Amino acid sequence: MGYKRRRPQTPHAATFGLNITSMTDMFTILLVFLLQSYSTSDVQITPEKGVSLPVSNVQINPVQSVKVSLSNSELKVGDRKIASLTNGEFSSIDLEKSDSNFIKPLFSELEKIAKEAKTPEEKEGRIMLLADSALNYGVLRKVMYTASMAGFPKLKMATAVGE
Amino acid sequence: MRRRFKPSLATSYEFELDLAPLLAVMVKLVPVLLVSSAFMQVMTIETDLPQAVKEAVQKQDDVTKKTSIQLEITQKNGIKVILEEKGKATAEMVPNLSSGGFDLLSLNRKLQEIKSHHPEVYRIELAPDKNISYKELVKIMDEARKTRDKDLKFPVFDSKLNKEVETDYMFPDVVFANMMEG
Repeated sequence: MGYKRRRPQTPHAATFGLNITSMTDMFTILLVFLLQSYSTSDVQITPEKGVSLPVSNVQINPVQSVKVSLSNSELKVGDRKIASLTNGEFSSIDLEKSDSNFIKPLFSELEKIAKEAKTPEEKEGRIMLLADSALNYGVLRKVMYTASMAGFPKLKMATAVGE
Repeated sequence: MRRRFKPSLATSYEFELDLAPLLAVMVKLVPVLLVSSAFMQVMTIETDLPQAVKEAVQKQDDVTKKTSIQLEITQKNGIKVILEEKGKATAEMVPNLSSGGFDLLSLNRKLQEIKSHHPEVYRIELAPDKNISYKELVKIMDEARKTRDKDLKFPVFDSKLNKEVETDYMFPDVVFANMMEG
């Protein structure tokens, strides 16, 4: 006759207390971090891929504006690609022959937006330029000049917060 | 002598704090913040682009009465600070550092000096060379915006409070002067 297999003894009550202190600690840290990085701005702006915004100490929150994104390789209005750049320069096809600062596709796009203006930012001519920090002023000037010509004189240059 | 009674730290004094409701709140709050928070905070530098006609009218009005400050920025020579008062212009150069790059500290000091003589001026005109990088340009705008000297303040009239208050802002209003040039 064999021995009876011994069963581990279980307490009568099957309840157990889960220690949630460490989990609460983790959540508290996470909550503090999220509250710290919480932006009070009404407008959330995410720069396009390939656009590294310059760092500035300016403290003006962004407002709703027509978004123009300028990277080393492309120019976008909203999510729409308007023109291509080669090594941070516009190709001569996109520029007006008599005026090298005038970007033809950008002008027609902005003019179209201005004509069909529905939102306050389009009516008031507010434009936000999200440009890569490595670009030269010469390229930015072309965008600013064309925007001004197309009836968007209120320029807001997007910058990143940091030291 | 009778011994004074000391309460013993018995186990009955120990209790466990019920963290479950606190955790329940956090579990709800964390996803809300995760969804709505921006991990990269974006701010904006505001500048009014000069429009051809508007600019011409303004220039006509401004020639005699206003004081204007212009920064001519070139990679080779540095920053030329031009102060124009009552139609008379004076220029001063802030040369580049010997190690290369703009001397931003000297520029800030120079602008502090101008601001203390002209506290009513808030606008600065930038005329950068086309090969100046956007990054450098933003740094120059930062230097022009605020003074580095924390003890130095400039008077400004607050119309809401109806009294004079002090500010560390120097030239927050930036305009690109050479934008319309060919």
